[in-house]
Amino acid sequence: MSKYRIKFSKTGMGKFISHLDLLRAFNRTVTRAGLPVRYTQGFNPHQIMTFALPLSVGTESVTEFVDIDFEDGTDFDEILNGLNENFPQDLHAVSVSEPVYKAKDIFAAEYNVSIGADFGEYGKKVSDFFAQNEYMILKKSKKGEKEVNLMDFIYEAELLKESADRVDMRLVLAAGGEKNIKPDLVLGSLESSLKPLKFNSVYVCRTNIFCKIQEKVENFC
Amino acid sequence: MREKYNEKLEKILCAVQKPARYTGNELNSVHKEKTADTVSFAFAFPDLYEIGMSHLGMKILYHMLNERPDTVCERVFAPWTDMEKLMQDNDIPLLTLESHTPVREFDIVGFTLQYEMSYSNVINMLALSRIPLRARERGDSDPFVCVGGPCAYNCEPLADIIDFAVLGEGEEVNGELIDAYKEWRAEETPTRESYLEKIARIEGVYVPSFYDVEYNADNTVRSITPNRDCAPTKIRKRIIGDLDSVFFPEKLIVPFMDIVHDRIMLEIFRGCIRGCRFCQAGYIYRPVREKSVDRLCEIAANSIAATGYEEMSISSLSTSDYTRLGELVDGLLDITEEKRINLSLPSLRVDNFSMELMEKVQKVKKSGLTFAPEAGTQRLRDVINKNVREEDLVRTAGIAFGGGYNHIKLYFMIGLPTETYDDVAGINDLARKVVDVYYTLPKEQRKRGVSITVSTSSFVPKPFTPFQWEPQDRMETLVDKQKFLKEKITTKTISYNWHQSEVSFLEAVFAKGDRRLGEVLISAYKNGCKFDGWNEYFSYEKWMAAFKENNIDPEFYAYRKIPYDEVLPWEHIDVGVTKKFLIKEHEKAMKGVTTPSCREKCAGCGAASFERGVCFE
Repeated sequence: MSKYRIKFSKTGMGKFISHLDLLRAFNRTVTRAGLPVRYTQGFNPHQIMTFALPLSVGTESVTEFVDIDFEDGTDFDEILNGLNENFPQDLHAVSVSEPVYKAKDIFAAEYNVSIGADFGEYGKKVSDFFAQNEYMILKKSKKGEKEVNLMDFIYEAELLKESADRVDMRLVLAAGGEKNIKPDLVLGSLESSLKPLKFNSVYVCRTNIFCKIQEKVENFC
Repeated sequence: MREKYNEKLEKILCAVQKPARYTGNELNSVHKEKTADTVSFAFAFPDLYEIGMSHLGMKILYHMLNERPDTVCERVFAPWTDMEKLMQDNDIPLLTLESHTPVREFDIVGFTLQYEMSYSNVINMLALSRIPLRARERGDSDPFVCVGGPCAYNCEPLADIIDFAVLGEGEEVNGELIDAYKEWRAEETPTRESYLEKIARIEGVYVPSFYDVEYNADNTVRSITPNRDCAPTKIRKRIIGDLDSVFFPEKLIVPFMDIVHDRIMLEIFRGCIRGCRFCQAGYIYRPVREKSVDRLCEIAANSIAATGYEEMSISSLSTSDYTRLGELVDGLLDITEEKRINLSLPSLRVDNFSMELMEKVQKVKKSGLTFAPEAGTQRLRDVINKNVREEDLVRTAGIAFGGGYNHIKLYFMIGLPTETYDDVAGINDLARKVVDVYYTLPKEQRKRGVSITVSTSSFVPKPFTPFQWEPQDRMETLVDKQKFLKEKITTKTISYNWHQSEVSFLEAVFAKGDRRLGEVLISAYKNGCKFDGWNEYFSYEKWMAAFKENNIDPEFYAYRKIPYDEVLPWEHIDVGVTKKFLIKEHEKAMKGVTTPSCREKCAGCGAASFERGVCFE
């Protein structure tokens, strides 16, 4: 075995690190730590490293996964400590393990969301929004813009706490190669449906990633 | 205060392009608490994060100041226009990266002036910081505003805006400024003026308000006179005597985002032995001082360990002039190859480019090659003292093509003093000869598909060079020469790019400007000028309006041939190189006579007065 799966968090200002920048930060951390990473063959070798599911800029996460190839027999703790001693602020390795599931089996991700706004009467409308069967939006993809039903991408929406100036929610959204939606798009749609209400602040944190194995939902690990 | 801005900042960061420009928190960034006992220094680079973070001088001074327990140094860059708008809409002043503290709350704000076209950003950043733009408008609650870097040697256009300038290398003098600040703050009645009076006595510190400038009826400078005892008649630049023992940061900040020079920069020496007559860097950084091979290898190894960078680049004005380059490259490759680090050697000269050296670097990764013959004919190269011969370039191109390169970039200047259209045509001739070299090689020895890129910049006369008295070509002439060259180049193998002549014109105006241009800068800022180095923001019309509003003719600064006996706006600045020497060099240029490099024969430029470096080898 040479593939190791690292669970890590990306919090605080770290949420503004883009996907490409994150890859570079990992490369350099692994180099500084002097971990026995494996490189691709060829003229321009690079570390063998794959992130399970991209995270949008501006979203924090306590459950990210990256697979890195190390020399056979590298100790889990050596990797965990090496990364944590060399990470920039805002990145933290939570655990190292052997990969169980494949990234292509990922189908959903869970987010904690906290919206600051002068909700007043509007608080109830938040639940109404997620209770709809259909809400058509324009979704951009590589192939262009397409009209889709947003509700098909929202698997769960649970109101955790509601007050005059804050709404906290838990959302489970479609994620992965086949069907994917960014939380910003969901929350942007919510905001425009609540017009003229404006959000003062939006905090989003990814808390879990799920995969589906023979129709059974499992925590990705 | 801080918390308030953090929350506001986070919100707008979600809406800007490349938020990593503003977040700070990079690896090796320094976060220290500002207290009543510390001196706080905001290091400002008047351009985008990705430009400023590529600048070695900033890294050196940032880490050096933060090494001091009594000093907090934080960085600030020019926000891009999307960020600027959101800051204004949300009532957020310009903040530093590390602690997101308003720049205005710092004791000293220091701008590094790398190019003239960043001056509008300096003004804009002061305005965004809510710091009064003119030095005389600042009060006790405002920071001191200072400048350093190459353009600080003639910072007269900013004379009314800044409180002081630091001339020369900053490693020692910046510490002295902090010491003086602490002493001053402990005084019974510290005033802004008393701090400036204190530091005006430090060598290398220039306080513009302590000098009165008088003008003649024809707008030329009549005199520059100190108006108090603490101000020396001549302000002499500072240099570091021993580069091996001076502080050099090894725990460099590693940005998250891709910056322009995203690699370790290993500074191997300062100054240049060559003396190309158009090149300001070749004069203001004299004398040449090298770091030793041992020290450089030590720095390289430690820098790699502390950053994890995958690339290292040697940095100097002319890499191949390092006396022990072969030995250095061997030593560095010992370190870099094992760690899969790409070593690059920029700034190689065509006259001493060797196959051996190229092969060494090639072992790691092949990158493109760039050479700068600067002028198309030998006559003109002699005028500018670019001691490169056509046969050198032809030989080098042969080595490069034979070694597997198929792309070469050639840099030239147009508008050089004495230039004729024959010289311009010579650029094409030279590029053609390089193409011919490729085709004379047997097919199996060359990589398919040769391409040559010719780039021309426009000559900008700079202070402290032998060409400081020379007029710049008029914009129409420059455009005409560009067009002429474009038409000469008929093969698709050679591609041609050139610089906007309006930008070069303004560069000349501000490079050689006097302090009457300060109001023009403020008007330009009010007209919306910023990011002038960026095509999409540069507006020649806005600049011209700013000159007009202040009744100033920019052509006076750029297009006039200045007699030797005229008082120059930078007459009171002493960079070590004497005016006498510059006159001699100018006379030789007009006769097409070259001057050998410092290592071949001392030309007596005056830099020996620093009693260091190449002058005493």
